Amino acid sequence: MTTDAPAPIGPSSRVGIPQDHRGSWIPTGAMIAARFKELRRRRGLMVALLTVTVGIPAIYLTIRLLLHAAAPHSYGPAGGFNQYVGLVAGVLYVFGFIVAATLGATAGSADLTEGMFRHHVITGRSRIALYLARIPAGLAIIMSLVAIGFTIVCAVCVFAAPTSLEYNGVHVPAQLSRTEFQQWAAEHAQEVVNSFPIDISSRDRIANPACLPGGGPGFGPGGGVIKQPGGTAATPCTPAQLQAMAVFIAKQDYTDYARVFLYPSDSLMVKTGLWIELEAIIGFMVGLGLSSLLGQRTIAVILLIVLELIITPIAARARLPHLSNLQRAVVGLATAHLEPGGLPTPFGGGGSPAERSLLLHESTTVAVCVIVAWIVAWTALGAWRMMTRDA
Amino acid sequence: MNAHQISATTSSDTGSSRAAEGQWAVETHGLTKRFGENVAVDGVELLVPRGCAFGYLGPNGAGKTTLIRVLLGLTHADAGTMSLLGYPVPKERDKALARVGAIVDEPRFHSHLTGRENLEVLASSREHAAGERIVGVLDRVGLRQRADDRVAKYSMGMRQRLGVAACLLGDPELLVLDEPMNGLDPAGMHDMREMIRSLVDEGRTIVLSSHLLDEVQRTCDTVAIVDRGAVIRQGPISELLAGTSVVLRVECSDPDRARSLVEHAGVGAQVEVGHLGLEITLPSGTRRAVIAEISRVLVEGGIALYELQPMQATLESWFLRVTSRLGDPE
Repeated sequence: MTTDAPAPIGPSSRVGIPQDHRGSWIPTGAMIAARFKELRRRRGLMVALLTVTVGIPAIYLTIRLLLHAAAPHSYGPAGGFNQYVGLVAGVLYVFGFIVAATLGATAGSADLTEGMFRHHVITGRSRIALYLARIPAGLAIIMSLVAIGFTIVCAVCVFAAPTSLEYNGVHVPAQLSRTEFQQWAAEHAQEVVNSFPIDISSRDRIANPACLPGGGPGFGPGGGVIKQPGGTAATPCTPAQLQAMAVFIAKQDYTDYARVFLYPSDSLMVKTGLWIELEAIIGFMVGLGLSSLLGQRTIAVILLIVLELIITPIAARARLPHLSNLQRAVVGLATAHLEPGGLPTPFGGGGSPAERSLLLHESTTVAVCVIVAWIVAWTALGAWRMMTRDA
Repeated sequence: MNAHQISATTSSDTGSSRAAEGQWAVETHGLTKRFGENVAVDGVELLVPRGCAFGYLGPNGAGKTTLIRVLLGLTHADAGTMSLLGYPVPKERDKALARVGAIVDEPRFHSHLTGRENLEVLASSREHAAGERIVGVLDRVGLRQRADDRVAKYSMGMRQRLGVAACLLGDPELLVLDEPMNGLDPAGMHDMREMIRSLVDEGRTIVLSSHLLDEVQRTCDTVAIVDRGAVIRQGPISELLAGTSVVLRVECSDPDRARSLVEHAGVGAQVEVGHLGLEITLPSGTRRAVIAEISRVLVEGGIALYELQPMQATLESWFLRVTSRLGDPE
């Protein structure tokens, strides 16, 4: 090569700077769509996400449907309230967070670990825009998957709910409202009084206690004949008294009946769906920010699994007098306090007020503030690291 | 590479603002980058004219890639000023990089996506027209047939080509290529060389960082030599080599006697006897008449001459002399 260097040619006539605002921190639709596609094409990750959010509930419910169809006397219906709460609180809530965190961690670190980050930076596009483009793309994926899994659970639990039930040996119609249940009890007073459980301590509030001598053991076989202590001097109840007692018992037992035998109400399903989606959003956003901060996925996912499965249950129930405010700052406790009524308490236990009182108290306002703070803080940390990181 | 050319002008430029004025594609003054105590880029003064192929040469660890990373905003500078295509960086980095394409280090991509999909992802960060150039750039780098294969199945050479395709998405005026010949077979290197020359012919500026000196000499017009973070020489290759000595390689019948004859000829030559014959080194600026005189002395001294070949000093020999790795710089 012996030729002289060409003289500087000055500004090229072909040069123009595209007016695409690439210095802006707002991502374009094309960037979001490209990021969505990049995430969606990760076959292994998508299979894992589908398996957990859709596959596990679907397989479990399918098996129950088949078993019930094959041997209805041995295996109860696949749907119903109990199945619903078990799948929602036991699977979708906990594992939804973890898979969302995994997706977020992948979205936050993939460009860096796969060498694409510098390609994007070289385009001159704002690093914040590159970061923010991942949020709607990732949320579109995880929220869709959670919604599909939740819809399957709802559908099966509603449409495969029991239609007739044996309750303490009594054949009871399913899906009765409170009024219908009391009406049915009045019509089947004898069976109800004989077979349904009653809170003895409230016996004195029954409309006509004359046939309920004090100190009696309660209702039992005898057909409305209340035996005195020692088995003597029975006082037969009139039909009206029996009906009153049956209605009273029905009032007491309706909550238990509804929980065990009915499918979830529409309002509960809507609230639960939003709650599950909120949990997934939190998992994704924290995973995105943490992995962007760390620059890699594996440790971020491990840390978030530890947070969800170990730290949060401990923080939710432990009584640490000087650290209670720190405990309240754990995002899992905040989401537990936003749980719709009627579901079992996250991290174990039923949904009764007594069970709920085991959770460290936190007001709804504080819970919302904690959740917002987690999302904003991790997003800011991830974006900051994205801006300052060497590419 | 396919002869298909992407358009040198873009319809998408309609309504766009003009690039900044200025004769230099790259201009740095006192550019410095430190990693702790180590000064990777040491007050670099670099002027890259527009529309040429510019070689950026240096031994391993000389700071070539670090300088490129600083120029492209992949890492920040500790001191100094710089501009790309007339735009000060980092102040107007987004405008500057809008017309820059670059490969830095080994080109890596999302391996689960196809080559085409990777380009689509990258095009999304650029202007809308970048997406329309994908087919053209794939064609140009010779990857169109494999565009829909996953990158995980690509060879190193194919990834290099995909890296060049990614560079071309923005219809760049300036391309910065860091070791673009890595992983290419001889045919691929030839294709790459041809493509670089064709890009220069279109009016683009190429900054080529490489340790393959022969390739640089065959591809570039102007070079800068960097060593220990600092630019120690810069200019057109022809000018840089003009000051080097001339070497004559002589095959003859009696090398020892021929050596004695040349040493006593009074031409100021240094003579060494090797297994192929004599190697006569003449001072820089030696006229051609001196070569004829040496030939005459040998023939009249009864030496049978089989071959007398003036050897052009190469960029490699010059590079080794001026860099500190094989001795002190000149």
